[in-house]
Amino acid sequence: MWDAIVIGAGISGCSTARELSRYQLKTLVLEKGHDVSAGTTRGNSATVHAGYDPDPGSYKAIYNVRGSRMYPDLCAELQVPYVKNGMIVFAVNEAQMEEVRRLKEKGDSNHVETKVCTREDLLEIEPDMGEGVIGGLWIPDSGMVCPYNLAIALAENAARNGVEFRLSTEAQSIEKIQGGWLVRTSGGDFETRYIFNCAGTYADKFNNMVSKDVFHIIPREGQHLIVDRDLAKYTKTTICQTPEPLPTGGHTKGMGLMPSVDGTIILGCNADDVDDPDFSDNTREGLDKIVNYFEKNWKHFPISRHVPQFPRDAVITAYGGSRAHPDRDDFILGEPEDAPCFINLAGIESPGVTAAPAIAEDMVKILVEREGTPLKADYKPGREIKAPFRTMTMEERQKAIEEDPDYAKIVCRCEQVTEAEIRDAIRRPVGARSVSAVKMRTRAGMGRCQGGFCSPRVLQILCEELGKEPLEITQSGGHSNILVDHACQPKEGNEQ
Amino acid sequence: MRTVDLVIIGGGSAGLSAAVGARKQGVEDILVLERSPYLGGILRQCIHNGFGVHKYKEDLTGVEFAKRIADEARALNITCMCETFALSISPEKVVTAMNPSSGLFTIQARAIILAMGCRERSRGALMIPGSRCAGVITAGTAQRYLNLEGYLPGKRIVILGSGDIGLIMARQFTVEGAKVERVVEIMPYSSGLARNISQCIEDFDIPISYSSTVTQIKGHGRVSSVVVSKVDEKRRPIPGTEFEIPCDTLLISAGLIPENELSKSAGIELSPVTKGAVVDDYLMTSLPGVFSCGNVLHVHDLVDHVSAEGTQAGANAARYLRGEVETSETVPVESGFGVNGAVPQKVRRAGTGKVDFMFRPRDKFPACRICVDVDGVCAATYHRPVLTPGEMCSFSVDRSVLAKAKEKIAVRVEV
Repeated sequence: MWDAIVIGAGISGCSTARELSRYQLKTLVLEKGHDVSAGTTRGNSATVHAGYDPDPGSYKAIYNVRGSRMYPDLCAELQVPYVKNGMIVFAVNEAQMEEVRRLKEKGDSNHVETKVCTREDLLEIEPDMGEGVIGGLWIPDSGMVCPYNLAIALAENAARNGVEFRLSTEAQSIEKIQGGWLVRTSGGDFETRYIFNCAGTYADKFNNMVSKDVFHIIPREGQHLIVDRDLAKYTKTTICQTPEPLPTGGHTKGMGLMPSVDGTIILGCNADDVDDPDFSDNTREGLDKIVNYFEKNWKHFPISRHVPQFPRDAVITAYGGSRAHPDRDDFILGEPEDAPCFINLAGIESPGVTAAPAIAEDMVKILVEREGTPLKADYKPGREIKAPFRTMTMEERQKAIEEDPDYAKIVCRCEQVTEAEIRDAIRRPVGARSVSAVKMRTRAGMGRCQGGFCSPRVLQILCEELGKEPLEITQSGGHSNILVDHACQPKEGNEQ
Repeated sequence: MRTVDLVIIGGGSAGLSAAVGARKQGVEDILVLERSPYLGGILRQCIHNGFGVHKYKEDLTGVEFAKRIADEARALNITCMCETFALSISPEKVVTAMNPSSGLFTIQARAIILAMGCRERSRGALMIPGSRCAGVITAGTAQRYLNLEGYLPGKRIVILGSGDIGLIMARQFTVEGAKVERVVEIMPYSSGLARNISQCIEDFDIPISYSSTVTQIKGHGRVSSVVVSKVDEKRRPIPGTEFEIPCDTLLISAGLIPENELSKSAGIELSPVTKGAVVDDYLMTSLPGVFSCGNVLHVHDLVDHVSAEGTQAGANAARYLRGEVETSETVPVESGFGVNGAVPQKVRRAGTGKVDFMFRPRDKFPACRICVDVDGVCAATYHRPVLTPGEMCSFSVDRSVLAKAKEKIAVRVEV
């Protein structure tokens, strides 16, 4: 019997797994996707929110603020890029300034540093602040992270400390048994004492199997555009427009420009409720909403000083993801009264990425305090990983090549990813098994050519490392094979 | 730091032709840097014919063309370093590169020829809505899987864009036993060569829809269908015209983009129209001693033209190294009516001989004239039976005509 099963390996599941790995526990993570971080965690705005806008006293407020303060150390420990670049929520009219002042009050209640700025104040922070902006809110503690990078790092570290990951394994049902739970999955049955429900847009399904205290998750999709790294030099702080309430309740943080930690620009996003919990499509409506917004409002953003028009030609790709919006409008945490030892981390929509590490701490505490579980003596908090080649200094590059000549072979030319890094991504704990998993770990295929040149080589390296045939390699697990057959070959006995 | 007279970045048809051109003009110290393990660039995966008709007066495959040009370079003892990736070029012409045997190294070049080629426009850049499943692939990548690796990336194929690689791949997929359901082109005309439309599409009875585009990709895991819509004259989809085509692959052949990342690292001025360097009639960029040729300068239709441009860049680099290319005054060249991205973008006043121009017509023009205006006055005209955006237009003008310009030269189409 397992001590703990974590259902779902997104940012919540991976944070929980890593937290559990500190203790003397036998932990299993079940993930239906082909990789960790295959759902909501890979398709969001990558912002580490300071916590200025959740309703004071809510779980969202408590964990957002606590999580945000954990980020610098957590990311340093796991060697994950994190930048505290600050955020400006700008206003273009007096009604929006009213909203800015309301946000300031919330920020004060949440003990988050914010400042209501005039245009002149904003110009001191962002000298290129665009035209039409009359003021806004400055949130200095806002930051940026790559959420899937962090989730992968958390998973690797958890695995390094003994947590087992079963990918492409879908939890299907949960039954109460003597002393715990029976989890039936697509890959066999597992018994466990505790369950951590980190199933994202499916969390309602599992909760409602074990508890009469039912809730529902409404998948709320959001789409983003990525702009070429050439233009990132004109961006510094995260810039959002003052948000508007959504018709179906709640609000998002408004359209914004996020300078990613990887040196690109993220633009987005829309917020529209959808039916499919796995929805990650880009829709015409969603993309149009973003493009139309930025075409119309580009002049407000500081980048417009250098790039006067919305640079449609510099968009290299788009992505989408679904937030797990709960019908209760706050995170749903802890054990339902009628289901002890079943711990929810549900409804983790924005600011979920920020809050997840703090939530995981408290949720794991429920288990370890009740059971008196001791810590592991040999827990290793970090990862053994080299910095990406593209961020190395010339001396570091020279040394890396001397140690491993595969560092001199560039596979992805756009993002300057070397063969050594791709092999390492496959060999690491919870290693890459698909072209997309390599991309998430190394950025190979994420640049301006979008994998046109490197994907055939990545596929070859996957074959070499995994002992597979090219026809077996997938883009992202399941039936997403990249190649479908051998090319025409003369058949035996078929003389021409 | 090692010093080399001429460093050529890229060992494809442009780079190798440049090397041969420079050697024949007496440059001894030449180094070609090629990032892949082989010379020949993209030609290695072009197993179809139609190459070399102008240069060799023979109908060769891309592979044969690549071998010929690589053999010429070898016969002239030109040093080529393969599997060598150029990381950056400084404004002082210091090239930083690396390979597995030498590690990271720098070279001080006296002259540089940029010949890095181009890349394909991707699904992401086109912002095609829909599922982000497997089975969406650019034509060139599919060509590599098929011709170099021996695998089919799909069996029921819709092709978006009628660029030449897409047309070639339509034929090849058909020959390999796959079914090409349709070619979908957003413009009212093909962006490929007329001969490819005829030999790759019409001869194989492949349907082609003009003024249409793919408006949605459907599928879980792998593409299961695409939705095609008609577009209006502003290229916006027309609601109500949608139809769905079941398929397992969407092949994208919607344009090529010069790969000028290294040029940017050197601070070289680029043209927003061609996405290549701004060059004078010596093919010299804004950085003296740095030349650009082939698809990194502007996207060509024929390798023969790429090769000719490479040879010319090589010869000009030789003249530069001999000190025969002075920093001389130039006159800007403007692209007028019907002309997209005329190259060169500036012409030197000094010098003799002819100046070669190339541009891509903005539209289809039957029976027309190309006019060269010098300070607003038409100074030369060239008749053409037809101009189409699928085929690059080229012509030569006597420098004596152009050198008179005080302010500007303009190239335009007159119908």
